[in-house]
Parts: sequence; structure tokens; C-alpha cells
Amino acid sequence: MKRVLEGSHAVAEAVRLAHVAVVSAYPITPQTHIVEIISDYCAKGMMNARFIRVESEHSCLAALIGAQSTGVRTFTATSSQGLALMHELLHWTSAARLPIVMAEVNRALAPGWNIWADQTDSLSQRDTGWIQFYCEDSQEVFDTTLQAYRLSEWVNLPAMVVLDAFLLSHTYEPVDVPEQEEVDRFLPPYVPKFHLDTENPYTLSSLVNPSAYMEMRYDIAKDMDAARERFRDVEEEFETVFNRHYGAIEAICCADAEIILVTSGTVTSTARLLLEDLRKRGEKVGVLKIKMFRPFPVDAVRRVLQSTKKVAVIDRNVSFGAGGIFAQEIRAALCNLPLHPPVFGYIAGLGGRDITIAVLEDVYRKTKSSDHPPEESTWMGLQEVQCET
Amino acid sequence: METAAINTKPLFMSRSHVTTESNKTGTWRYMRPRYQEKTSPCSAACPAGEDIAKIEMLAGQSAFKEAWETILLENPFPGVCGRVCFHPCESECNRKNFDSPIAVHSLERFLSDTSVRNQFQPSFERLSKKPQKIAIVGSGPAGLSAAWFLSMLGYDCDVFESLPKAGGILHWGIPEYRLPSAVLQSEIGRIAERGVRIFTGRPISFESFSELRKKYSAVFLGCGYSRGRSLGIVGETESAIADGLAFLREIRNGGHPSCKGLSVVIGGGNTAIDVARSVIRLGGKAVILYRRRRQDMPAFEEEILMALEEGVELSDLLTPIKIEPYGNQYRLTLQRMKIEGEDRDGRGRIAPDGDKTSEIIVERVFAATGADIAESWYNPPSHGKGWTAFSHCSAFLETGDVPVVYGGDLTNEVKNVTHAVASGKQAAMVLDTFFRQGFDAIESRLMASRVGNGPSLSMEIYMGGRRSARSKQVVPYNEINADYFQFESRVAQPRLLAGERTESFDEIDLRISPFLAMREAGRCFNCGLCNECDNCYHFCPDLSVIRGKNIEDRHIDYDYCKGCGICVVECPRNAMILGEE
Repeated sequence: MKRVLEGSHAVAEAVRLAHVAVVSAYPITPQTHIVEIISDYCAKGMMNARFIRVESEHSCLAALIGAQSTGVRTFTATSSQGLALMHELLHWTSAARLPIVMAEVNRALAPGWNIWADQTDSLSQRDTGWIQFYCEDSQEVFDTTLQAYRLSEWVNLPAMVVLDAFLLSHTYEPVDVPEQEEVDRFLPPYVPKFHLDTENPYTLSSLVNPSAYMEMRYDIAKDMDAARERFRDVEEEFETVFNRHYGAIEAICCADAEIILVTSGTVTSTARLLLEDLRKRGEKVGVLKIKMFRPFPVDAVRRVLQSTKKVAVIDRNVSFGAGGIFAQEIRAALCNLPLHPPVFGYIAGLGGRDITIAVLEDVYRKTKSSDHPPEESTWMGLQEVQCET
Repeated sequence: METAAINTKPLFMSRSHVTTESNKTGTWRYMRPRYQEKTSPCSAACPAGEDIAKIEMLAGQSAFKEAWETILLENPFPGVCGRVCFHPCESECNRKNFDSPIAVHSLERFLSDTSVRNQFQPSFERLSKKPQKIAIVGSGPAGLSAAWFLSMLGYDCDVFESLPKAGGILHWGIPEYRLPSAVLQSEIGRIAERGVRIFTGRPISFESFSELRKKYSAVFLGCGYSRGRSLGIVGETESAIADGLAFLREIRNGGHPSCKGLSVVIGGGNTAIDVARSVIRLGGKAVILYRRRRQDMPAFEEEILMALEEGVELSDLLTPIKIEPYGNQYRLTLQRMKIEGEDRDGRGRIAPDGDKTSEIIVERVFAATGADIAESWYNPPSHGKGWTAFSHCSAFLETGDVPVVYGGDLTNEVKNVTHAVASGKQAAMVLDTFFRQGFDAIESRLMASRVGNGPSLSMEIYMGGRRSARSKQVVPYNEINADYFQFESRVAQPRLLAGERTESFDEIDLRISPFLAMREAGRCFNCGLCNECDNCYHFCPDLSVIRGKNIEDRHIDYDYCKGCGICVVECPRNAMILGEE
């Protein structure tokens, strides 16, 4: 049934329909709406789940690690500083092979305090072994949450469903919320590959000597790599039930494009509008949307970008000293091709600043007018501003 | 669906099926936590040493009978004390530092009322019968308490009361609206049911006292202070100045003395308030004259406030100096007093304010300035062969003759019901120890039976009950882990309205419901006591808290306890301690 939902509530509806058994979270703007409504569902008995209140995000993930280890499906949501506080346990979750699913609302990190959209919080956790999906609209948020459980439980690695602060979390859009039976057809009950059992006690995550640690890590790496393939399978099944499909990447008008804009999150929607406009004016432009960031869909990205003339990557994030993080990943994906297009990196929209069609058009023009990137990253729209208040 | 396929690939992860129990982490320990119940400040402040923290714990669990029995172990008068005790327990309640103290007083009354309504019978056993037989002179709170506790310890007791009804000052000295007769008679009935024989209308003279000493193995004298003090002013006669206590007695005996016109009550204690409020109820006007300041009045503040609400007038710094007939009335001359410095206990020291006097025409005057013994031989000697003074009683013990114990108001510095109960209890302990272990054991037995380090004594501790295992350390507020408690308002004592009160002698304080009582009891921190909240169990990182079927079975598994002390810190009520190995 189509409903008009906030992006936050789209997540909550998916969690409700996924038969999640344990939820734990610590409130943080702009994530709070998600767990607020979930706690309401738990209190009203609309979800047969235990909601664990905690004193910090660190405890929150610790609680879920315990819960998931007993063999049940769990969920949490966080944002920005909250995710940063979870850092230690993000590593733990993946190495402990626990398929926990998290909604991560992209918000800028402090200082200065800023609650608006910025991807640096989730991207700076890229090495923690979590699968990461970046969503474009609320329907995708809903669908990806269900897909995340399916994939995560398949490869026994945790997954983050990432959505832009306010642009998605607080924006109302029509969302098709399916019936429980349909969801059940796509997402079977959770069957854990291992779980703590008081009848057959054992200790999980015990000491591992140098003789085995590397092999354990290799096992994780292989399963993370396998997640690319498995995601295709998950999407196939998803399409069978719901008739919708996203792909780890989406290439829009890229076949003959001379310049391809690489986007993620809500910026993609804006880029679609620009694309339509530029194409009408005869510009050979394409858009590559990256949905799956971990594992990075290297081969698919290469296939789309290898024959174009220039690549312009829009990054709503920054890794100081190395530029935009998507740009780094794109460069890394292309560098071993014998011939590959130059990659132009653009930093834009940090801390919730709007990335308008004009900003993207500026990116396009700048890319078109240079043969080579003049710098590693070009910061878009810097102005004279006053910081003292 | 590929559920099966999903589960085919084994995960390569670290897992150990070897028990960690082989690693006896207890060997790392240099600090040792253990369960150690302590003393709650309320129980130490209660003159009767009631186990209040335990009583409220039981009441909060709706174990009303057990809670009531816990009171009876230390005090045979929960119905009386739940109404007229000055509840020092509440002043010492740790919860006062958090929001407001527990309404221990209201809860005690609730438990007593509940026991009457449900006809509870105390289930504790009397100890084996002892050969000695004790005579008790006076059936006031001290005498009946002595009888109650002696009976508990296995002694036969005969109580002699001069008046036709038992109860002493509880019967004749406290108005019905504060303490209904039915409540008192039910408590006395319970004492009699336990085997205490009460002979009413049997005054003991000095001569018959000598007879008692021949027939009984010991005598307890608790005759109280029953005669009102005279004012000692010019023109004072028995007809001009009535004894306030006698007036209260007349009303309790069913009389309706005329109170038409203006009555003056001289005094500042609870008796003065009782007399004035009784006058109002009998249709008269009442003025209380007090020689010191209002804030120096020994009467309970709440009683003073209610008296004022009911229309009693109060004038302080006035003392009568002369009374003379004035037609059918009296003319009372009053001296204005003033404050000159403070006396030792902080009350203003008073002196006549020059020759400032005034006159007042009144219908009658009541003296309520204190009481005295009725017969001079009641007066305990201050020395003599075999004479020993204890905190709440005095006794002739090793005289070769039968022991005589003086108690209640005769020996108590503070003269009120709960201290009288303490006196009867101490007398029972003194006699029991004297008979069974001899004189020399008395001091140490009394010391060991103290609640905390104060003067209050516990019969349960004396008899070696579970309470005797507790530490004497009184739990201060800063040892309560207040993080585990939430602010909750204290139950308000429901009362008749001022207008309703003055129309009859009906009881003013109303009952609280079981629901409110449980909620109020649930506010109690249970300072120093384990209520099996399981915080220790949940927080122990080594799973070393072992819970048993009963609270006594709870213990620490020292094979694995590393002595981190988290259990002790997280115990909300300080029922654990951490000591060096």
C-alpha cells in the first residue's frame, strides 16, 4: 500500500516487517525518529521485539552483539558522533560475523556542531567490515533495509543502510509499504549459522594465535567479496516479489557519455534532472550512481567508466589530505586499467549545504573545460563567511 | 528460497568449547565482597527498635501479616504507636535527603488496622516455659510491654491495674479522637491472648506490694505519672483550677463535663493541647496560655496546628500568678514573660517582664503543666544495695530478696509511649538474663541487643534471630546508591476536615488504602537490607553471585570472584561490604 512516509519511518516500517527481535539505540538527531517509532511499535505490541535502552551508542552495539549472538535478528540506528562512538564495536561486529543491520543517517561530525547531511561519518567507517548502501529516496531506504537483512545474513557480515540527514530522514515521500506476507516471501525467518546455547555452552571470539588470525581475516575478506555476487541474487529475489530493482550501481545514459558524473545518496536525484537538461542541449553526459560502497563494486564501476573521456566524482565528504572518499575509490578502481579516463574530484555540500542543479552544472562545466584535473579535489562554492557568532 | 544454501558454508571463526571454569579467577582477588546487612537509621532512631526497613520491605511486597509480626517482635502496640508515636524514625529517614521521608507512622497504623480487619494472629512461638512468675504493677504501655516480652521469653505474668480498664495513660490520658478505645482494647486483648493475665480494679498499695514480693519471683513497677501538677499560684484551690489529666480521664470514662464559656488551659505540652481540643469538642471556647514562646512548646507541632485550625487560641509568654473568684467565674491575673538568653537545650530562658500583668475573666482553668507520681513509694530510689540503673529502667537485683524493676515514666527521661515500650522490653531482658545467666551477664547482653550503636534495643537480636547477624553500622545516605531510585511523592495522611473534627470525638486520621500503603512502603530504600533486587547478580562480570532459594542462601562463588567490587558499588541499599582478603 502506498503511504506518505518520512524516510525515518520508511526504515521503521521495514524493521517492523522484518520480524526484528531485539532493537537497541541511543537517540541522536537526525536518527531519533527511526527508533522513536520503533520503540512505540514495541510498546504497543505491534512488534514482538525487545527494545533495550542504553546509555551510549557503544553500549547499544554491545547489547546487540550479545543479542545477535543468541541467534536473533537485531537492529539499531545512529548518526554522526553516535556512529563514531560505536567504532570499536563496528570492528567487533564484523569479525564476530554477526549480521546486524543498522540505519545510519549521514550527518556532519563536530566541531562545529552541525546536524545536517554529510557522508564523512559513515565513510570514515569504511574499513570496519560493514556492508554499506547509500540510498537515493525513501522507497529505496525501505527496500534496502529488507535487502540488507537478506544479504547480511547470507554472508554473515553486518550492513549499514545509509540515508542523508533531513533530505531523506525528515522528508515525506510516497512509499509502497508491502503486506507482511509479501515481505515474508522475500525475507525468511532468521536461521543463524551459530548461536550461543546454554545447553551446549561455548565461548565465542576467544583468543586466536598468529597461526590462525590471518586465515580468519581472509575468510571475512572472501565473504565480503562474495557479497557483490550475493547482492545480485538478493536483488533478483527482491524483484520477483516486489518488481523493483536497484543494482549495486546504476549507470544512467553512460553508454555514449563523454563525461560521467559519479554520485551517491540524494545528490543522484538532482544529477538526474541536470542530465535530462544537458542531454536536451546535446551534451554527452552520464550519471553513475553508487549504491553499494562496501564491498566496492570495482568491476561494475570499471565497465561503466573505462570508455568514457572524463569522470567527475561528487563527494559530500572529505578525507583530509586525500580528498573526497568516493573519488579515491573510483581512482583506485580504475588505476590498473591500461587506459583510463582522468578522475576529477569535487567536494560539495558538506554540513548540509545544498547541492543544487547549478552546483552540478558548474561541476560539469569545470570538468568539460579542463583536460586534466587541476587539483586532487576542487571545493565547490567556497565563499567568504563569518565563523564568529 | 536458498535458505539451505545460505547455511552451507561454514564460518571460520574462533570458538572455544573448553570450559573457562578451569581458570579459577578467584585467585586474582585481593578484595573480598560479601553480604553484610546493616542497620537502618530509622530502626536505630525508633525507641522500640522496630525493624522498619524490613517492615516496609515486607509491606511493599504486600506481606502485610509478616510486616505486622515484625513490628510485634519489638512493640506490642502498633495500633497505638501508629497513632500517637512522635515518629523519630521519619526524622532520621535517609530518603529525606532524596525527596521526603517514608511515612513510617501512617504505614504502622495501616498494618495494625489491616491485622484487625483480617483478624491476623501472630504466628511466632513463645520460648520454653520458665519457672519464674512475674508480677507487673500498672497496665500502661510499660507494664504491658514488660508482660508481652516476658511472656515471649516464656515467663508467666500477672498484671495489676487499679482502674476498671487496662491501658493506663493510653486509656485515660489520650482523647478518643487521637486513639480510639477499640484500637487500644484490641491490642490489650492480643496481649491477654498470649497468656498474660490482667487483673483490673486491683490497686496495689505499699502493703500489697510487699505481698507481691512474697508470691512472685520478680515485680515490675510501671505505675506511671497519673497526678496532674498544681500550678502553685495565689488563690489556687482544687475547685478553682482543675487537673487537665482528670478532665481527660472523665471524658474517657464516658463523662460529658460542661465546658460552657471560656476555658483557660495552662501548659504547652500535648496534654494542654488535648484538653483544649476536648473543650472545643464539648462546645466551649479554649485558650492555651504558655509561659515560653510558641516555638518552645513541647507539644507535637502537628497537634498545635490542628488545635489552631479547630479554633483553639494560643497566647505565649504568659503565666498565671493569681486566681480569685469573680461572681460565678474566676479572675485570673497573668504575668507577661520575656526571653532572656537561652537555656541549655536551646529553649528561651524566661523571666517576668517587669510588672506587666493583665487580667482575664474565665469560666474555668485547667492545669496541664506536667504530671507526677500518685504515691510516693512509686518513686525509684537513686541508690541502695543491689541497685542498678539502666537506660530505660532501674532495678534492685542482687539484694537476696526478689528483684524489683522500676520502669516506664518512673524512670524514663523521655516520657512517652514508645519509650515506655522500650522500658518494658529492657526490663524483660534484664530479668531474663538475671534469672538465666546471672547479674554479671546483663550489661553485655544489653549491649549486644542494641540496634546500631544507640540506646534502642531489639528483642529479635536478644533472642538470636536473623537480625542479630546484622552489622551495627548505621547506613548513612551517602552509602545509598540513589541512582536506582526515582522521585516519588510521599503519601499524604488523610484526615477529617477541621469542621468535621470539632463535632465529635471521632478519630481524625483516616486510613490509607492498601494500594497507597504498598506504594509508600515501596519508596523505602530498605537501608542496609538485601531485598533480592539482583543488581549484584546482574552486574557481576564473573557470574559469581549465586542465588539460592532463600535470601540466606545468596552467596559469592569465591573460586571465580575477582573482587572487582562492582556488586558492592551497585547494591542500591548497602547490603554488601568489600573487605581486604
